[in-house]
Amino acid sequence: MKSEPNIKKIIYLLGAAAFAFGLWGFYLRFFVGERMVNYGSYVVWGLWVAMYLFYGGISTGSMMIASLEYLFGMRLFKGSGKIALWGAVVTMPAALVTIAMDLGHMERIWKVFFQPNLFSVMAQLVWGYSIFMAVLLAALWLVIRLESGKQDARPWLRFVMGIGLFLSIFLSGGVGALLGVNASREAWHTAMLPAQFPVFSLLSGCALMLILLGWFTPADEKRAQQLRVLSIGLLILLMVKAYYLWVDYSQALYAGTPVASEAVSLVLFGRFGWAFWLLQLGLGMLFPIVFLLFTRFQQNPFWSGVLGVAVLVGIAVARANIIFPMLSIPELEGLAHAFTGPHLNYDYYPSLMEWAVTLGVTGGAALAWLLGVDFLPFFKTNSQEVAQ
Amino acid sequence: MADEEKPNRISRRNFFKIVGVAGAALASRQLLHGRPAAANRPAIEPAELPAPPAKADADILLRMQEELARALKKPPAERRWVMVIDLRKCVGCHACTIACVAENKLPPGVVYRPVIEKEIGTYPNVSRLFVPRPCMQCEKPPCTPVCPVNATYTNEEGVVVVDYEQCIGCRACITACPYGARTSDFGYTYTEETPVADGLILGREKADDYERASNFEYGKGYDRPGEHGSPIGNARKCHFCLHRLHEGLLPACVTTCIGRATLFGDANDPDSVVAEMISKPNVTVLKEELGTKPRVYYLV
Repeated sequence: MKSEPNIKKIIYLLGAAAFAFGLWGFYLRFFVGERMVNYGSYVVWGLWVAMYLFYGGISTGSMMIASLEYLFGMRLFKGSGKIALWGAVVTMPAALVTIAMDLGHMERIWKVFFQPNLFSVMAQLVWGYSIFMAVLLAALWLVIRLESGKQDARPWLRFVMGIGLFLSIFLSGGVGALLGVNASREAWHTAMLPAQFPVFSLLSGCALMLILLGWFTPADEKRAQQLRVLSIGLLILLMVKAYYLWVDYSQALYAGTPVASEAVSLVLFGRFGWAFWLLQLGLGMLFPIVFLLFTRFQQNPFWSGVLGVAVLVGIAVARANIIFPMLSIPELEGLAHAFTGPHLNYDYYPSLMEWAVTLGVTGGAALAWLLGVDFLPFFKTNSQEVAQ
Repeated sequence: MADEEKPNRISRRNFFKIVGVAGAALASRQLLHGRPAAANRPAIEPAELPAPPAKADADILLRMQEELARALKKPPAERRWVMVIDLRKCVGCHACTIACVAENKLPPGVVYRPVIEKEIGTYPNVSRLFVPRPCMQCEKPPCTPVCPVNATYTNEEGVVVVDYEQCIGCRACITACPYGARTSDFGYTYTEETPVADGLILGREKADDYERASNFEYGKGYDRPGEHGSPIGNARKCHFCLHRLHEGLLPACVTTCIGRATLFGDANDPDSVVAEMISKPNVTVLKEELGTKPRVYYLV
């Protein structure tokens, strides 16, 4: 698959560097343990949980995009399905590895399969993501068969993609429910959260596709059309996301109940308020919205990739801003100072090891995607006949 | 020798010492065996002096000890363990916190019963409030349904427990607890940074033995091995000292409370002190609006 050679080299280089850095983080996680993390008993979930939501959203969103070709047969998206599907395949393990790192006893993960409490949202998600991963691999196998000319795979592919689309919506909502079921966390406990997450996933999928199509596929008229449609889709989704942000924050602040407004105030004006204003709002929303209003940026492959990266950075910060601030508010006034010790802290910032693992996982996913595109045979075939 | 020539007499000072030690030994024995001090007293002639009410006379600990022994004779499902904390009596000494740490050998970063301190009012009308916060042992606990592997649940005595071997360490229960009553064990020991100087001080190697020896939570022996084994990596919480209860002992925080501010017993026993206290109009629970129905009550 032809692409922008310089960008690809840069991503290879950055991906390899991030992955190498991540190996150090993995070593520490496995041989030193959780002592080197900064989350603890008060800010219970940290960067890894936020990144689990992030990668999971990208994967399910990419599945939604892939369904445009493989389920709905849209001719406009011919050839883009396998790119999106491969994106979903490499980002789902990234999500699962990241959340596995967060477990105090990851060697007992088998218990969720064999001794589950299926009323637990977390158990439902573990099962759901495992089935989703199997669906992704099945869809990939069917696409490979289809690319090699075996047309009997087509109805099966549609069937599998139908299941995949259903799962991608429910699993996206599931991570919202994972937070939303905590009735005592007022800013989380709203039905809006699970309802919003599928939209965020679709947004993540659109952003990833702008990067993959813009930077790593050959220039032709079809790509320009695909980029334009995806850009307009991204623009609309960003506006919907901005609206969600407005209703969430304005209602919390207007009501003025301490628990809800404190969390929002922390996001807006807390120690890391700059991350909200500069990265989540500025880079992740306003910058792409303004640029995408101009037609020439909607079809420009380089800028499509840049805007896709900007949106993904904004979504990653948004995931962190959903998790950390709510957990940074003591359940009881005075609890923060009642007892001191390691990991009894309401002031969270990820440790170097947490960053290392996160970067390693990101680098690994990027390398896996590029290596697949460069070396898997089905990426070298012409997909003109795949969609009908 | 001059000493041998002295008659074998007990000085007045020694007499008081012996009486004091014997009294303390008797009291502690009675405490341990659940027999109130008043049990062996000779009957007092009612005609001469009215008999003082025994419950008021005896140390409340002795009464609770007696009630505990009574409750243990019932089937577990018929007990309803309840803790009542009288905030008017709590002096903020933190003895309960320390007793809990010692009893359960809690490592750094793990706490079951911190005492929250609050300063109320402005000068000159200032006072301090101390709120011990054990696990609330909710009747409707938000922490148990979120567990993906049923590692935390309400046992038949109504106590929310954690199965350390089952827990995968996801911390969903810690997130769900509205009272911040669970902490995660990250595998620290208090002695790990202490110096080693054999013969001069009780250095790390010797002191470390104590920390690594088993505690007896849930009636099992959980030592702290060098490798990553439970309870390291688990969520941990107050369990009303179930291992002590089953041996006829009150929770460590109750026996060490110098103000007798923490009361414990079976609320299903209408004659128990806790049943009496939770029917008072000045009783309250934390975050009542959540509907979790805590079994830890506060008297205000």
